[in-house]
Amino acid sequence: MTGRRGFYPEIEPYDRGMLRVSELHTIYYEQSGNPDGKPVVFVHGGPGGGTDPKQRRFFDPAAYRIVLFDQRGCGKSTPHASLVDNTTWHLVADMEALRGHLAIDRWQVFGGSWGSTLGLAYAQRHPEHTSELVLRGIFLLRKAELDWFYQGGASALFPDAWETYLAPIPADERGDLMQAYHRRLTSDDRATQLAAAQAWSVWEASTSFLYPSGDFIRHAGEDHFATAFARIECHYFVNRGFLEVEDQLLRDVDRIRDIPGVIVQGRYDVVCPMISAWDLHRAWPQARLEIIPDAGHSGYEPGIVHALVEATDSFRRRAA
Amino acid sequence: MEPETEPEIAGRSGGFWATLAAVESRALLYPEIEPYRTGMLPVSALHSIYYELSGNPEGKPVVFLHGGPGGGTEPRQRCFFDPARYHIVLFDQRGCGRSVPHASLVDNTTWDLVADIERLREHLGIHRWQVFGGSWGSTLALAYAQTHTQRVTEMVMRGIFTFAQDEMDWFYGVGTRVLFPDAWAAFEGAIPPDERGDLIGAYHRRLTGDDRRAREAAARAWSTWECSVATLRQDPELVAHCGDVAFTMAFARIECHYFVNGGFLARDTQLLDGVPRLHGIPAVIVHGRYDTICPLRNAWRLHRAWPQAELVIAEAAGHSANEPAIAAALRRATDRFSER
Repeated sequence: MTGRRGFYPEIEPYDRGMLRVSELHTIYYEQSGNPDGKPVVFVHGGPGGGTDPKQRRFFDPAAYRIVLFDQRGCGKSTPHASLVDNTTWHLVADMEALRGHLAIDRWQVFGGSWGSTLGLAYAQRHPEHTSELVLRGIFLLRKAELDWFYQGGASALFPDAWETYLAPIPADERGDLMQAYHRRLTSDDRATQLAAAQAWSVWEASTSFLYPSGDFIRHAGEDHFATAFARIECHYFVNRGFLEVEDQLLRDVDRIRDIPGVIVQGRYDVVCPMISAWDLHRAWPQARLEIIPDAGHSGYEPGIVHALVEATDSFRRRAA
Repeated sequence: MEPETEPEIAGRSGGFWATLAAVESRALLYPEIEPYRTGMLPVSALHSIYYELSGNPEGKPVVFLHGGPGGGTEPRQRCFFDPARYHIVLFDQRGCGRSVPHASLVDNTTWDLVADIERLREHLGIHRWQVFGGSWGSTLALAYAQTHTQRVTEMVMRGIFTFAQDEMDWFYGVGTRVLFPDAWAAFEGAIPPDERGDLIGAYHRRLTGDDRRAREAAARAWSTWECSVATLRQDPELVAHCGDVAFTMAFARIECHYFVNGGFLARDTQLLDGVPRLHGIPAVIVHGRYDTICPLRNAWRLHRAWPQAELVIAEAAGHSANEPAIAAALRRATDRFSER
């Protein structure tokens, strides 16, 4: 379709740094775009996915001061793939530490998939520092969502990729696949850990696009990426996102009700299916829900890029 | 014994928009043609079924089995077949399309329909024929071919539905609604909250009740749910068609009647269990990756049970036979078999 917006041009950061956030953890951050522009923080997915230079390009670099950071244990943050002191609330605190370090008063919070989970958790705890919310591929970390993707649901649409996901787990452990994966991903045996990490990551990469992307699947299977991605994801999921109650992120919508929000959801997102965006929309009708009819989960799906760029453009002149 | 085949992935190259812009499913198929003969065949004291013949009377016989049950045939379904090579038989199953009595549920079971296919074959003096069907048409094709194996030359199936319990649960409970919560809200919303524990039962009571308005409202909601999710991109024409009372009364009543009766199968694995009887019949299975009515798992299981049947996965396609990648794969299959 003509008229779809694409990414802004490639840019380089004008500032990069490592911020020590605990005795153990140091996180990578970078700033690009306009140093005097409207601040926005990009919250990546996974958890454990790390950032990618492409993610700078959702924002008009003339209008935005663009902050990307790698959450604990992934990307360029250290120690790599560590699960120690690695919870949702540590990450929320890290975002506050980073905001203070950069002397930003309020920023736009932008995130997809797990980035939407963390974006909501952050904004509900620190609404006074959140100017707008742009969320994609909504993930509320409820048990039904985890079951859909890791135990049975998406499997009905991707029975071929599902066989590859099942392969490392013996039949007698398949009653609880996430626990079976968790045992392997936290195993002392490096080969066991890696085989599980690759299968876990490839399952998600195989189901993230309306048209499967060979490059994306290959990247997901690389050792360094897969180890952090799978270990950290599984750690968060067996711990149910460290939420107080299962529907905490819906329960606390009142805290963000007046923050301008956009929810972008691919109709054929089978990783984070639309029911979660729908439930969030019903709890928070003030946020605009945009359903992309020909898109899967990934933030790089053409229709989703278009909607996200339009959303950040629409906010770029709002005062911080 | 034919060699086992690896699934083929169709439609992977090129963007979705390019596909949509460049091709209409109609352009992928044969030109529209008129039947050279139509007729009504009495099949019981109550029922008569409409049938029509098109294409080449000397050609290779093929019978088209429509979906639903209760969907009836449409003229464009003739276009899946090369009219120079095929003798094309379409018929409306009991109670739908031009068959009479309209929307009747009396003596209307899978095995009545299987017997009708045999009556029609004998009536037309056809010895053996190709069996072509999608969705419920694939169910009926499997049931017919497992009962009258020697009458079947080849099978071409799309959007596989074997009437297993988890296939029903997917569409009327745990699956499709997760991706289409908006359309589900309308489907569920037509039934009062205290009856939603058994939605199909609640629909069945209304669809078979005496209150005409309640019957029509239920039929519309039932059909709209299915038609809203049948194509990758919602097709407003299809959704409007499904709201048409004449179509929808037969479609919803007959579908619901078959569903509450488990497709009249002895057990829900009957059609998978019967697959060994089909070995030796050349077959192609075409299934859309984003078929949310009959998920790909249905076809995958059939293919695993019957690896000699070729599985073609149409990427970026939903349930409907009119999805471009599906129409193209179906035509390739019938073209290939036309040489046999």
